[in-house]
Amino acid sequence: MSYREKIAWLSLAAMAVAYGPYFVLATRSPRPWEPFPHLHPLGLFAVVSIVRMLILGAGYLYLRLGSPREERSPRDERDRAIEQRSLSAAYYVLIAGMILVGCFMPFSSTGWTIANAAIFWIVAAEVVHYGVVVASYRVQASV
Amino acid sequence: MMQGSISNRIRTLRFMNGEMSQAELGQRIGLTRQTVAAIEAGKYSPSLEAAFRIAEVFNVPLGEVFQWEVKAAPSKAS
Repeated sequence: MSYREKIAWLSLAAMAVAYGPYFVLATRSPRPWEPFPHLHPLGLFAVVSIVRMLILGAGYLYLRLGSPREERSPRDERDRAIEQRSLSAAYYVLIAGMILVGCFMPFSSTGWTIANAAIFWIVAAEVVHYGVVVASYRVQASV
Repeated sequence: MMQGSISNRIRTLRFMNGEMSQAELGQRIGLTRQTVAAIEAGKYSPSLEAAFRIAEVFNVPLGEVFQWEVKAAPSKAS
């Protein structure tokens, strides 16, 4: 498995660990009766972001120390082609999600529902991005 | 449209050039070992520039490294 594929797996894992519980907790714990109703979702999002950064930081460090120098060489044309393909796929997911969130949800939802929907589509686009990267490296892997 | 596939003789040419490793070939043409392996296995088609570089390393014409094999078109039922 190449270094860049490992990085893509790490990013997917970090998102699953961080945003999986976030969306479960965010949808199950609305607290409109509290004096500062935005504090809980904001705090939750902050914790999730920090957890994700910690996982990514530790993962990068581990992979960097564990991979030979030649594997960490700059991107070549194949890496760039895979990156372009994955970003194109993620763009369509993101734009579809943003149209839904920005153009339709304001007529039926408010506040954190819209914010969480936007976060969901951003995460979905990132999952597609790294998913396509992993799939591309898997398909082209020969050794 | 004409259908076909690209094959290559990189493995043979590496063998004929002192069993050159994929990593060494990659280093000489600015690609990673994994990309060279993918090209060799026919799973990635390199850019024209990279293809010329590979031919240059082996000191052979491009056509000796990569070949275009035309697939027979399916016959149309009358």
